[in-house]
Amino acid sequence: MPRRCTLILMLLILVLPSLLTFALPARAPGDTLLKTPFAQIQEQARGTQVRWYMFGGWAHVNTWVDTYVAKEMKKRHDIDLVRVPMDAGVFINKLLNEKAAGRKTGSIDLLWINGENFKNAREADLLFGPFAGRLPNVQKYVDPDSITHDFGFPVAGYEAPFGRAQFVFEYDTARVQAPPKTIAELRAWIMAHPGSFTYPQPPDFTGSAFIRHVFYAVTGGHEQYMTGWDPDLFAQKAPLLWDWLNDIAPFLWQKGKTYPKDSAFLDTLFSRGEAAFSMSYHPPHAQNLILQKVYPETVKTFVLDDGSIFNTHFTAIPFNAPNKAGAMVLANFLISVDAQLSKYIPENWGDFPALDMDRLSAQERNRFQAVDLGSATLQPGQLAAVAVPEIPAAYLEALEQGWKEHVLDK
Amino acid sequence: MSWTNNRAGRLVSGLAPLLLPYLVLFCGGVMLTICQSFGVFTPLPHAGDALDAYTKILTDPAFFTSFGFSLWVAMVSAFCAVAAGTFLAYRVWQLPAKLANAALIYKIPLILPHISVAFVVLVFWSPSGILAAMAHSLGIIQTMYEFPNILYSGWGLGMVLAYTLKGTPFAMLLVLALLMRFDVRQIQTAAMLGASGMRIFFSIVLPRMAPAMHTSFIILFLYGFGAFDIPFILGESRPGMLSIHVYNLYFKHDLARRPEAMAILTMMFFFAVIFIIAYSKTVQRLENGVRKL
Repeated sequence: MPRRCTLILMLLILVLPSLLTFALPARAPGDTLLKTPFAQIQEQARGTQVRWYMFGGWAHVNTWVDTYVAKEMKKRHDIDLVRVPMDAGVFINKLLNEKAAGRKTGSIDLLWINGENFKNAREADLLFGPFAGRLPNVQKYVDPDSITHDFGFPVAGYEAPFGRAQFVFEYDTARVQAPPKTIAELRAWIMAHPGSFTYPQPPDFTGSAFIRHVFYAVTGGHEQYMTGWDPDLFAQKAPLLWDWLNDIAPFLWQKGKTYPKDSAFLDTLFSRGEAAFSMSYHPPHAQNLILQKVYPETVKTFVLDDGSIFNTHFTAIPFNAPNKAGAMVLANFLISVDAQLSKYIPENWGDFPALDMDRLSAQERNRFQAVDLGSATLQPGQLAAVAVPEIPAAYLEALEQGWKEHVLDK
Repeated sequence: MSWTNNRAGRLVSGLAPLLLPYLVLFCGGVMLTICQSFGVFTPLPHAGDALDAYTKILTDPAFFTSFGFSLWVAMVSAFCAVAAGTFLAYRVWQLPAKLANAALIYKIPLILPHISVAFVVLVFWSPSGILAAMAHSLGIIQTMYEFPNILYSGWGLGMVLAYTLKGTPFAMLLVLALLMRFDVRQIQTAAMLGASGMRIFFSIVLPRMAPAMHTSFIILFLYGFGAFDIPFILGESRPGMLSIHVYNLYFKHDLARRPEAMAILTMMFFFAVIFIIAYSKTVQRLENGVRKL
């Protein structure tokens, strides 16, 4: 008898954890929050703690959050800000597990998020909202047309804008006199200088963005992809990209047999002189590294005339955030003129504002124009002239998958 | 019969405090992984067949390249670590007592995390690393491109180096523990009867150390096969290690591909189980043919 009993017990224990996933999460009481006036939300959030989960790989950004943002939140709203460093892919999985386990009150109040991670979070119904339209600073300063889509996925108010990023290349004027101006010139340059160019291996964020630039350039521009996923179009156009990348592969660093695993690795290769160019999805990145004395003062950035992809990054609130009111107050503060300006200063971070400059007062506009971006960062006008939008996420996924199959494993 | 049943029952209930967390956490995790690999309980509703993920993976030649490469890296590094560890353990055991205490420094790499060993290898062996800089200042090489391409040779040598560095003291520890209980008189007798040093090592000492060597080989091999940290730092793009492939699928791709990540994990898990069984069976058969000392 005991043996059978234990057997059943063991089976039960074995199966139980997977049964837990049946328990459906109920929404934390927060839906009424969306009807509450913002002044009341601010009052409600006073004296609370907000836990902000965000990518922690940039020391200067961490410092900015821990000093400026934390201090202002305490001063203005009596809110204690706790920054928790975590990659977006990791916190999405944490939320998925919490949701599967039916945890109604989680530990995350605010997320720093965009693109694929936002799409994943929305598809798995992990976010609270729509809240962005409720934030006074979004209503006042943000152009609604600029935040309708995030990598082709409808935002629908489930995330609030936080900043803007645009893709730039980095080079050292002491080593390269005239950087290429187009994708075609880049190809010629790579072939003329074997071993000194490479790009981070997709699905790395930056490497993936690099191949999208080539994709736009060699297949006739970005417009055709903006209407959404078209498998036939992709099947017809993608081979042009694979050919281009395979043609340059033998001339890359390590003869294209291996690629840097992420952009930090490429930065290291660049600063040690193994690679002639680095690249970043953040225009002030090179200036930041100059200020940190990682790059020499002679480093500059450039964009290609074929286009340079920009995107907006956002903040979002998880479905089970314990302090949704506090999270909304923080999200609102982050898109305020003061916070956006502080963020724009290269010594702090240098991230571009997500505000519509036309909606600011002349005085506020002047404060932005007075910021010295540093010698390495391009001016907003230079970047805007070549800015092209991000591709819908379905193409992005197909490109990353195709790159592995047709370029890496070929 | 009822006596044995009761005994087993008591044993299980006595072990329950240990068994329960193991069953809930470990078995629960394995179950969920297997379920998700079939598209059950996935974060997004799974459209399609239960075996879709497996079909997709098993028809992709790149998967087999990665699988073979992971096997190769794990096999070579476990073999090198066990060979070096056994040899060093034997030499340390032979040292006079005073020196044997000093030899305890071999334990230092044991407390270093894998990731730091990976960084040590990276800092020393990359084309712009410490060894290349030394070779350059000594005039052995003119530019950094002449430095032998250890880390990006396509053979995973950087990972093998790191795993061997990390695994050698581990194998030493296990082998030394056995040697400490070894009766020296067996060696003395053999020597008196005229056996050479080589003969003594291979006929008397080695069989004695074999159980520790097998155990450390299995542990190091399976760790090298599935671990993530060292490949994350030292891995090459092609062929990629399976663990990195799973990491990318899990964290960096669309949620719809979750079953693929889980299917690879499931296959790795069952491979590990089959490997342990096959290895133990082989060792058993080999040892049955050998005269026990």
